[in-house]
Amino acid sequence: MTRLSITINGRAHGPTDVRDDLSMNDFLREYLGMTGTKFGCGAGQCLSCAVIVDNPDGTSFTSPTCVVSAVSFDGKVIRTVEGHAKNGELTTLQKAFIEHFSFQCGYCTAGFLNEGQVLLERLAKAPVARAELEKTIAEALDGHICRCTGYIKYHEAVRDVILADSKRYLVANQ
Amino acid sequence: MRPSRREFVKWVSASGIALSLSRLGSAEAAGLPPRASLPGREGWNPAANGAGRIDGVAKVTGAKLYASDFRASDLPGWPQSTSHAILVRAPDATHVYVGMDLARLSGALKPSVVVTAADLDKIGTRVPAFYTGDLFCPVGKTPIYMGQPVALLIFETFDTFDRARLALRYGTFVKFGEETGPVAIPNYGAYRFTRVAGATPDAPDVYSPVQAGWVSPGRSQISPLPVWSPLAKDTPAPYSKAAVHGEQIRSELAAKNSNLLMLDREFETQSVDPMFLEPEAGLAWYNSKSESLELVLGVQSPYEAAESIEHMLGKASAPFKPARINAQFTYVGGGFGGRDHTPFVLYVALAAMFFPGRPVRLAHDRYQQFQAGIKRHPFKMRSRIGVDRSTGKITAFAADHVLDGGGLANFSVNVATVAATAAIGIYDIPKVDVTTVVVHSRGVTAGSMRGYGTLQSMTALEVLIDEVAAALPLDPIEFRRRNALKPDGRTMCGNRYSVSVRTTEMLDKLEKHPIWQQRAQQKSAARPGTLVGTGLACVTKDYGAGADCSLGRVELSAEGKITIYCDHVEMGNGIGTALANRVAIHLGVVADEVSVARVDSYDVLGLVTSGDPYMMDQKTQDRAEKDPRWVPAISTATSASVGAHVGTHSAAEAARVIFRFGLWPAALELWNIAPNDPRAKDWAKAQWKDGQLVMSGLAALPLSALAAKAYARNLVTGAMAHSFSRWEWSRARFPFNGEQYRAEIDALAVRKGNGKFARIDRVSVRFPPAVNNQSGNTYTSMCGTLVRVEIERATGVLRIAKAYNVFECGRALVPEVVLGQAQGGFAMGVGYALLENLPPYEGGPGNGQWNLGQYLVARGSDLPLRDLEIEVLPPLTPDEPPKGMAEVVMVPVVPAILNAIFDATGRRFQSLPVTASLLKGVLA
Repeated sequence: MTRLSITINGRAHGPTDVRDDLSMNDFLREYLGMTGTKFGCGAGQCLSCAVIVDNPDGTSFTSPTCVVSAVSFDGKVIRTVEGHAKNGELTTLQKAFIEHFSFQCGYCTAGFLNEGQVLLERLAKAPVARAELEKTIAEALDGHICRCTGYIKYHEAVRDVILADSKRYLVANQ
Repeated sequence: MRPSRREFVKWVSASGIALSLSRLGSAEAAGLPPRASLPGREGWNPAANGAGRIDGVAKVTGAKLYASDFRASDLPGWPQSTSHAILVRAPDATHVYVGMDLARLSGALKPSVVVTAADLDKIGTRVPAFYTGDLFCPVGKTPIYMGQPVALLIFETFDTFDRARLALRYGTFVKFGEETGPVAIPNYGAYRFTRVAGATPDAPDVYSPVQAGWVSPGRSQISPLPVWSPLAKDTPAPYSKAAVHGEQIRSELAAKNSNLLMLDREFETQSVDPMFLEPEAGLAWYNSKSESLELVLGVQSPYEAAESIEHMLGKASAPFKPARINAQFTYVGGGFGGRDHTPFVLYVALAAMFFPGRPVRLAHDRYQQFQAGIKRHPFKMRSRIGVDRSTGKITAFAADHVLDGGGLANFSVNVATVAATAAIGIYDIPKVDVTTVVVHSRGVTAGSMRGYGTLQSMTALEVLIDEVAAALPLDPIEFRRRNALKPDGRTMCGNRYSVSVRTTEMLDKLEKHPIWQQRAQQKSAARPGTLVGTGLACVTKDYGAGADCSLGRVELSAEGKITIYCDHVEMGNGIGTALANRVAIHLGVVADEVSVARVDSYDVLGLVTSGDPYMMDQKTQDRAEKDPRWVPAISTATSASVGAHVGTHSAAEAARVIFRFGLWPAALELWNIAPNDPRAKDWAKAQWKDGQLVMSGLAALPLSALAAKAYARNLVTGAMAHSFSRWEWSRARFPFNGEQYRAEIDALAVRKGNGKFARIDRVSVRFPPAVNNQSGNTYTSMCGTLVRVEIERATGVLRIAKAYNVFECGRALVPEVVLGQAQGGFAMGVGYALLENLPPYEGGPGNGQWNLGQYLVARGSDLPLRDLEIEVLPPLTPDEPPKGMAEVVMVPVVPAILNAIFDATGRRFQSLPVTASLLKGVLA
C-alpha cells in the first residue's frame, strides 16, 4: 500500500492508502465514483480514459489512466471531464462539441475533450501558423479512438474554436 | 417461412415473475451533482432550440449515463457497497474442460461465491431458446465454443476482485484434459432463394420466394453442410421445386455460349468486432426480503433482455426464483448490433441470484469483450454471373454462401437470409439462385452487426460487377445503369419495394462527380512511386427486421412543456434528438424531456400478445386481433436501422393526436372560429413557425397559450400509442370525440386536461398480412460511394485521398446526426476493408488475449477527414417518411475501395482485409 494525495478538479483528495497495482482509472471510478473518465481498452490504446495532468510550470498534458497506477499520480494535479464546466457554465470547447454534434454514443467524449482542451491551452501559450493548424489538430487527436463518428466533427469543433479566436491560438499575419 | 428473429416469451410471465422495466438516467440518480441531461433543466442547451443533441450536455460533462457508470451507491434504495464478479471463460474448445485451478485464488484472493454448471443444474435454470447451449460448460465436456463461460467468481470487495482479476489475466486457470476436437453441432439454418421472372416485366414470376415461400433443403447426417441437390432422398417437396429451377439456372450459366460473358468468382470476408467503446457491463441486486431482482443494464434490446432473464429463472427453485424483476436501462456506449440479444445480461442476473443481498457488478474488460462479444460473420461466397455481351444486361446470377456463425446461433440465420436476399444488390436480374448455410463452429458467436449480411454479399457483388464491366468492356456506371432495378421492378424474392428507389439518380451523381470525372487525369499524374486508382460502388440496404414495433408517449404540460417517452434505445444513434424533432413537427417546439429505453410507461394500453410475428399464419393473426388489446409484438430491439423510421413513429403519432384533439380545438377557440365554420377542419393547413401556430389571416398562437387553453377546456394533453410494422404499418380505427380516428397505429390511449390516461379500444384494425413474412425486404435505402486511393509502391501503404458518399434517407429528422452516421459508417467501412481482422479459432479472440493495438480500427489518420464529401439527397416530398440509413452508408465504402485498389494496381483482391503488407506483397 502506498499513500496517495492528489488534486482533482481543484479539490484535494487524500492522503489515501491505495494498492500499488491499483490503476488510476479504478481509483477514479471505483474509489471516488468519478465515472466521467471512461474505461475502454485497459491497454492505453483508445484513450477514452485520458485525463489532464497539470504541471507546476503551467503546462499540461493528457495521460491514460487505465495502464497507469494510481500511486504514480501522487502529488499531481489533474482535471477530468467533470471539472471543465464552472458553475454550470460549459467551456467553449464543450459547447463546440455539442453544437457540432461531435459525438454520438459519447463514450469517447471525455478523452477528446481533455485532449482538445490541452491543445487549446498549449496553442494559447505557443500559437502555430494557420498552415500548420490541420496537422496540429490531427496529431493531437489521433491517439483517441471513436467508433461512431468518423472523427470529422470532433476535428471541426476544435478547429472552429481556434479559428473563432485566431488571435489567441494562431501566429499573427499567417 | 421467414425464420423468427427470436423465441417469443410472453410479456405477462407464465412463470409468475412480474416484470418491470424503466430507463435509468443521470437525472434520476441520487447523490450526484446536478448535471442535467435534458434541455430545459439547466441554463444552456442548444438542443432546446433545435441545435445539438438532446443528450449533449450530459455527455460533455461526464454524467452517469452508461451501465458501466453505475454502482450500488448511485441507486436509491440499494445497499451502499458493490461486489464484483468475474465471468471465467474457456480459451479452448477442442479439449475436455476439467475444472479451474482455484488454488491460485487462495487467501485474500478467494472468491466469496463460485457458480458453475453444476450449480445451475441444482437450482433448475432454463436456457432461453435464443441462447441454446450450456450457460456454463460442465466439467467433463468440451466447450462448444471458445469463450464459453465455465464459472462466475463473485468477490465481496473491489480490491479482492481486482487482485484476482490481475492474477488470472495470464496463465492456465482453466484446465483442460483429453483432446476431442471441436464439438459437432448441426448447422443453424440453410435456405435457397430462387426466382425465375416472367417473360416481360409485367408478367408474373414463373417462380419466386414470395409465391412459394422460403425453402430449406434436407439436412445431411454426415456433414454440417446441407444437401442442395433437388433429387436427394429426403428433400422436402417445396424445396425441390426451387432447386429444380435453381439447377436449371446454373446449367444455363455453365453452358458454352459465346454471346454470354460468364464469370465465376470466390470471395471471402473476415470476422470483425463491433468494437463499441463501452465494454458490456451490468449491475444487479437480489433483495431477498422483497424477492425482487433489481437490474441495471445497457442493451439494444431491453424488452428481450428482461424476458430472457425471466425465462432463465422462471422455473428455478427457491430461493433462486425472484418474485419480480425490475430492470432499469441506461444509455449505451455504442452498439452496432453487438448489444442486440446479448447473453451477457443472463450472467449479470445470475451473479446477483447467487450472492443475495449484495449488489454485484459484472463488467467485461476489453480482453473479455473481444473473447465473448458478438462478432460479424465471416463469409465464403462463390458467385456466377452471366451477361449478354450484346446488350450488357445481366441474364442470370447464382451464388453459394457459407457463413461461420460461431458458438451460438444468435441471429445467424437472419444474417444468412439477409445476405442471400441482398445478393443481387441494386440490379434487376431475371434468373437468380442463391443458396446459403450458416454453420456452427468453435469460434466466438457472431450476430447482427451493422450492415449484417448485406455488407458481405454486396461487397462480393460490387467487386464482381466492376470486373464484368471491365471484361465486356462497358463503362462501370453505364453497366450499372443498364441493369439497375427500376422503382416498380421486382427484387430477387419477387416483391417490390414500397419506398423510393433512387438508384439512377445516385448513379448520375456518381458519374458527374469530379472524383470520377478526373480519374484518368489523377492516375496519370501520380507521383513517382505512387499508384493512384479510383473505384465506385452502389448498393441498397434494407432497414427493419420484418416485425418491428415502437411504443411512444407524449405529454404536454399546461405551460407548454413537452415530455416524450419511447421504448427504443439511445446508443449514439440520436434517437432522443430524432424523437424531439419528429414530435416538434406536430407540437411546434423541441421537447423539454426525452426519456428513451422506456418500456414501462404504457400500462394503460394493456397490450397483450401471443405467437411469433415472423411465423404466424393469417388465420391465427385474424383470430388474435379480435382482442382489441392484442398486437403481434409489444417491443422490439433498436437495431437494423429502425431508429428514425420505427423508433420515432409511435411518439409522432401520439403527438399528432395531441395536436388534432388538443391544440387544434384550443386554437379554434382562441381564434373564435366556431365548430361549424368550414375552417374548423383546416388543421392540415396550420403550420408551426418559431414555436407558434400560424394560419393565414389569423393571429399566431404560442404553444404555451394553446396548452393552457387545452387544459382549461379539458382537451387532449397527452397520448400514447403502439405501432407495428411488417414491411408496412398496422392501421386501426378508434372511436373518439364523436368521430372515427384512423391512424397507422394499433393501440391508443389519451389524457384530457389533468386527467389520467384512458385507453381507447380500436374498433377495427389491419395488421400487415402474414404473407409479408415471405417477402424480401420492402424497405430499402440506396447509397453510392466514390473513392480515390494512393498507394505507395514500396511500402503498400494506402491513403484515401478523396471520397464521396451519396445516399437518400427520406426526411432526415436530425440532419447533423445523419451526416455523422455517414461519416462514422465511412470510417467503419475503411476499417473493414483495410484494417480489421480476427483470425478464427485458436489464434483468434476466443483465446482471451486480444485487445486494441493488435486489433486495428480506423483512426483519424486513416481517413480523409478534410476530403470526405457526403451528399444526402433531399426527400422526394416534404413529408416523405424517414428511411433507415445508418447501415447502408457503410456498405459501398468497402467495394469502392477494392475497386479503387484494382484501378491502381491491376490486382483484384477477393478477400478482406486488404492490408498494407498484402499490397506490398503484390506490388513487389
